[in-house]
Order: sequence, then structure tokens, then C-alpha cells
Amino acid sequence: MRLNVLIGGKAGQGINKISEIVANVLTSLGYFTFNYRDYGSLIRGGHNFNVLSVSNKRVGSIESKLDGIVALDDLTIEKHKIELKKGGFVISYKGFENFERNLNVALSGALIKVLGIDKDLLLKELRKELNVPNAIEAAEKGYESEEKKFNFGKLKNKIKIMSGTEGVVQGFINSKADWYFAYPMTPATGVLHELGLRQNGKHKVFQAENEISVVNMALGCSFSGKRVMVGTSGGGFDLMSESLSFQGMSEIPLVVYLASRPGPGTGVPTYSTQSDLNVALRAGHGEFPRIVIAPGDPIECVEKVNEAFYLSERFKCLAIILSDKHLAESEFSSDRKPNKVLDVKIERDLPGQKIVRASSYEHDERRHTTEKPEVVKRMQEKRLEKYEKIKNFLQRNKVEMIKIYGNKNAKNLVIGWGSTKTVILDALDAIDKSIETRKGKWKFLQVLYLKPLSDEIKEEIEKVQEKKGRVIVVENNATGQLGRLIREKTGLKVEKRILKYDSRPFRSDELAEELRGMGK
Amino acid sequence: MVKANFNTKEEITWCPGCSNFMILEAVKRALASLGLKKEEVVMTTGIGCHGKIFDYIDIGGVYGLHGRPIPVAIGIKLGNPKLKVLTFAGDGDTYNEGISHFIHACRYNSDITLIVHDNRAFSLTTGQATATSQEGYKTKVEPKGEFLKPLNPISLALSSGASFVARVNAKNIEHTSKVLEEAIRHKGFSYVEVLQDCLIFNLEINNLDKLMYKVENRDNKERARKLAEEWNYDSKTGKIPIGIFYQEKRKTLEEEF
Repeated sequence: MRLNVLIGGKAGQGINKISEIVANVLTSLGYFTFNYRDYGSLIRGGHNFNVLSVSNKRVGSIESKLDGIVALDDLTIEKHKIELKKGGFVISYKGFENFERNLNVALSGALIKVLGIDKDLLLKELRKELNVPNAIEAAEKGYESEEKKFNFGKLKNKIKIMSGTEGVVQGFINSKADWYFAYPMTPATGVLHELGLRQNGKHKVFQAENEISVVNMALGCSFSGKRVMVGTSGGGFDLMSESLSFQGMSEIPLVVYLASRPGPGTGVPTYSTQSDLNVALRAGHGEFPRIVIAPGDPIECVEKVNEAFYLSERFKCLAIILSDKHLAESEFSSDRKPNKVLDVKIERDLPGQKIVRASSYEHDERRHTTEKPEVVKRMQEKRLEKYEKIKNFLQRNKVEMIKIYGNKNAKNLVIGWGSTKTVILDALDAIDKSIETRKGKWKFLQVLYLKPLSDEIKEEIEKVQEKKGRVIVVENNATGQLGRLIREKTGLKVEKRILKYDSRPFRSDELAEELRGMGK
Repeated sequence: MVKANFNTKEEITWCPGCSNFMILEAVKRALASLGLKKEEVVMTTGIGCHGKIFDYIDIGGVYGLHGRPIPVAIGIKLGNPKLKVLTFAGDGDTYNEGISHFIHACRYNSDITLIVHDNRAFSLTTGQATATSQEGYKTKVEPKGEFLKPLNPISLALSSGASFVARVNAKNIEHTSKVLEEAIRHKGFSYVEVLQDCLIFNLEINNLDKLMYKVENRDNKERARKLAEEWNYDSKTGKIPIGIFYQEKRKTLEEEF
């Protein structure tokens, strides 16, 4: 059973609150929810909407057809009625105008009733969230205004809602990280806000004058012996490029959180893309090792940010966490707990205790400047050797560089990375329950480590190609950047690809349709 | 107490007779006079002739990128407020490539000391004009001479909120080291602009010593502004005040955390 409800209105009317209240009530009953947020680059007015997808099974995407609409204005109905299924419901703002600021709470009440959920659960949720008497009154009036259409009873699942942003924050805190430096840029700003609010003696946040300052402060701070992360989106990341190269030479540990939005240029600031893989892999002049990890859901954000801190400190290298607006700002739900936290120990010489030097100039082992060819060569090799060491370490310790889902012997292999993970899982289950039963015609290979790249990717593709099966890469970009990376590293060409680059995420039913047409 | 010896054995590659040797000497004297231990002092440097100092003082630190030594220094100080942090930068670093960092550092009042080696040219890239080069300075880029007026960095620092502002003459080692001592002792962002000659490129700015006279002003901002405006970095006549222009007590960035 799966429902998709669109909640729309003007910016500032509080549509996110509706998704939040309803999703909290549903997850407390054991249902999985996924909330997609669609908003433009404006603060008041316009047309914003969320789509809340609900299921009794794991869900991590939305569908193109709606079971219901909750409209805080007329425009929402006008724009979205075409997406409504036959017999779908509409909850309108009309009749609730008097509630003004509590309009969203009233409509939450109405939606809870339509879903057939007990009023007490709604009131319990509201008391937790808002202690305004009018809000309760609004919710009750909303609840009474509608008829029950569904029956969402209690399930046994224990479910937690989390956005990618919250996952990154949790990973930062789990790593006992000390400082976060950033300059505001959507969609990375969420982490800046969340960590800003959660500052204490241990976790501190500083918003510097620009991204160049951000990354240089971070390198200085890390040099002094702290665990440090910076966060930004594509444009800010570009500004940091020279300093990423400085990191490569100075070998000061650094973790970078890169949350993408469509470019080039200012692009489409509040929407999503996977078009920054290339720049994450290659930004910065010169040749130096780095790690690029793309978590695919919030729980993986918790885990991979921790791994990034661990590896960056252990190998004195750059570790980039690659996310995007869709992962950062969508609210996922999960019944899985994150893996055990890795203890990020700082075991290097620190200023204050010893004379410690780091340099952006080529230098010898004592960190004194050099231009001698034999030293330049030796130091270059020393830095690049780390790449192999990192890869060996990851394989030896069975760090999840890839994950495989579905039927191991399937003929059809889908490959993806990052925020397309959960929509691919939903699409494959929509086709033939391949993921749920592991018996269908499909399997999915999720690439988590883009650098270093796992050798298993080549093996998996070859296995399917030997069987004359189908390999399909799915990406939210226009040029198939993962497909090209795979070809570069394995020599194998993935013939089929599904690319979406209209700045919006895949809908699971549409993706399922496309995949079905390509599969064997 | 045995004072630390800050010398290193690295080969010095500044031009013979360069006033950077004098700045180096003044810094070492100030550090020794303050009785600082080598481990507790950390430097950051930009890129340019000045940056070579990284190899010539026996303390730790970060030899950073062109234009960026200030944010690196602030990061170090935020990470470990117990360290004494010195930033060496050139005029190109501070007033061209990294001017935003300079202005914001004045605002932030991070407890670091910025020492600007101002020879009023990009000398390590063979002499192009910087923001403090005088009008008419002939370079390969501008064979007819620089057409822009120079920036007055002292005025800029004052209006940006620097809590310690000084200017010194590199050739006066004694005075420079005394001012540096005060700058390092100052709690907050201390900015020391060092006027230095370049024997190879911007020759016109050499030997301005005869125009210089010593001043000392602490909490009178009005007077500081007037002193700053006495010389506009362009004229070859008039008087050039050197010494401490301004000093105030203000909460530091590190104290905010």
C-alpha cells in the first residue's frame, strides 16, 4: 500500500509543518514516509509544494500520480489537479481562512482524519510540537471537517525520520568533530544552521567572509589539531579549489561536505542534480590523492561522514562527502541503525607541543622548501602512494565501498550513486519486487566510494555482460558522469543509461517504466 | 633563562642587501625579547619574497597560498587559542589577492599579528604594480606607468576596525622590533605595516627614510585617522609617520567561543 499526497501553497504558509506533523504521526504508527520538498528561490509568495509518500514498506521516493492534494491556495489545485488519480481527494484551505497562521495545523488535522488515524495521536503530536491553544483548536476543527477515507492502523515497525542534512550533522557529532566552517549556500546551508543551533563547547561553527576564507581557516584549524569540516555547494566548492590543491601538498587533514545544486553558474539554486561528481573527483591543480564518498540516504550520511573524518585523519588527505539538494533536504524514514562509530584519533605532532610545519610549496621531509628534482619526485611519489594505501585499507577492513541489492544472479544490473539510491530501490520493487524478494530479474549496485573505486564494480559488470544481460546506469545529470568514471577505471562501456537533468528527482513509477523497457 | 635561538640553517635566497633580512632580524629579536618558546609561536605566510621567511625562523607554521595567510592564521588561533600566531604577508597578498581577508580580520579581531612586508610591487613575479604602488610606476605591464592611485592601507585598517595599527620602517630594526613586541603582546588583531625598499624593481620608493618621523598614539581614533592621512602612499614629499597609530581593547574572536 502506498499513498502520495501533495501539500502546496505559498512560501511562508508553513507547508513543511504539515508534512512534519503528518509524517511524525504516521511513523509513530510504524509507516514509512518520504517527503520531497519543491520550492523556488524566493522567501514569501510563489508556489511551493511537498509530496509526502507513505507506505507500509520501505519508501524513498515519490510517484508521479497523486492520491490526494492538500491545498493552502487555489494555485495548488490549479497546477496539480492533472496529477490527481481518479477518485483522489482534495483538502482545501476554504473554510479555514480564519485560522490564519494556524491554517497549516487545521489542514494537518483534516489530512490525519482522511487517513483514518485517531485524533488523539494528532493531539499528542501537536502538544509535543506547538503549545499554542489556537493550534489545537485549529487541528480539531480540521479533523472534524473531513471523512475517513483510509485506515492506517498500527504496525510493528520502529521508524525514525531523518534528512540527509541531519545525517551529516549526526556523522559530524559522532566523529567528535570540533569545528565547522562555511559560507551560506543552498543546499549545504542546512548543516550550517543545524550545527550552528547545536553549538556547544565541543562543536563550534564559524561563518567566514567567503569560501576561500572558509577552507583556509579550516586548514589552519586542522593544522592546530582539530577535527574540521567545511560545507558548500558547487559555486563555493569551485572557490575552494586552489586550497584543495594546497591540502594535497600540505597534507593537512580536511573533510569537505559538497551538496550539489544544478549548475553551471548560479544555475537552479533550490533544486537538485548529480552533476558535480567530476569536479569532486578532480578539483584542484596538480596530482594528489583524495577520497570521494557519496552516501545514498541519511543513515549512510551518518556513517560516511564518520568514515570521511577517520580516513582523512589517518591518511592526512582530503575526504569529500558528495550529496545534493534531494538527499540533503528530503525527509527519509528508516528502521536501520547506523554502523558502529569509528573513533577519530588525532595522533600527529601538534603545534604547541612541537615545531610542526606544513607547506604549499614543494618541500622535503622536514617541510623545508625545495626545488631539487630528486626531492620533488620522491615527495610526489610519497603523496600518491597514499591512494593505494587507502584502497587497501578500505578493502582489508571491509568498508562498504559499494552495496548490492536484489537478486545476485539477476540478468539486469542497475548502477547508481548518491541520492538516486532509494528511488532505484523503489522502482525495482515496483517492477517485480526484485529488492524485497531477491528473486526478481533485477539487481542494483550502489557505488558509495567514487574514489577510490571498488574493483568489484568491474567484476559485477562483467558477470552480467557474460550472461548477455543488461547494465543500466541511472544518474541525475546530463552526461552520465559515473558511467564515464567506470569506463575510465575499468575499460568497460555501460551501453544503457537513464539520465534526468531537468533539476527534479526521478519519480519511482516513471523510472520503473523506463527500466522495464530496457531490461531483459 | 636561556633565550631561544630562532636561526635556521636554510640557505637564504633573498637578493643580497634586501630589507627582508632586516625584517627577519627584527622579528627574531622581538621573539627573543618576549621570551617566547619556539613551540608556542606559529607563523603563517603568503607567497612572495616575504614568504621565504618561513624557512628562516626556527618555529612551526603553515606556508600557505598567495593571498590566504590571514584565514589560515585565524583558523589556527580558533583551533588552539594558546598559540601565538604571526602572519607574514606581502602587499600583493594583503592588499590585492586577499584584501577581503584583511578587512574582515580587522572586524573579527582574532588575536593574531599581521606583518605586511610592503615593498610596493609584486617583486617575486618581476615587478608588477600592487595596490600600494605609486602612480606612474613603470612596469612591463604598464610601460607608460601605473595609472591608478594607491590604496592607503593604514586608513583602511582603521576604518575596518583593527584594534592595533602600526607602521614601521624595515631599515630601523630597533624600532621595528619594539613595535613588533607590542603588536605580539596586544590582545586582538594587530597589524604592522612594514615599509621596505626593493633594490631591484620599484626603485622610486626606496630611501624614503628622511621623510619618516616617529609617532605614538593609542586610543585617539580621530588622531589616528589624521596621522594615517598625512601620507597617501603616492607623494615623494611630505612626512611619513611611523610607529603605533592606534590601539584599543576589544573582545577577541576567540573569546566569543
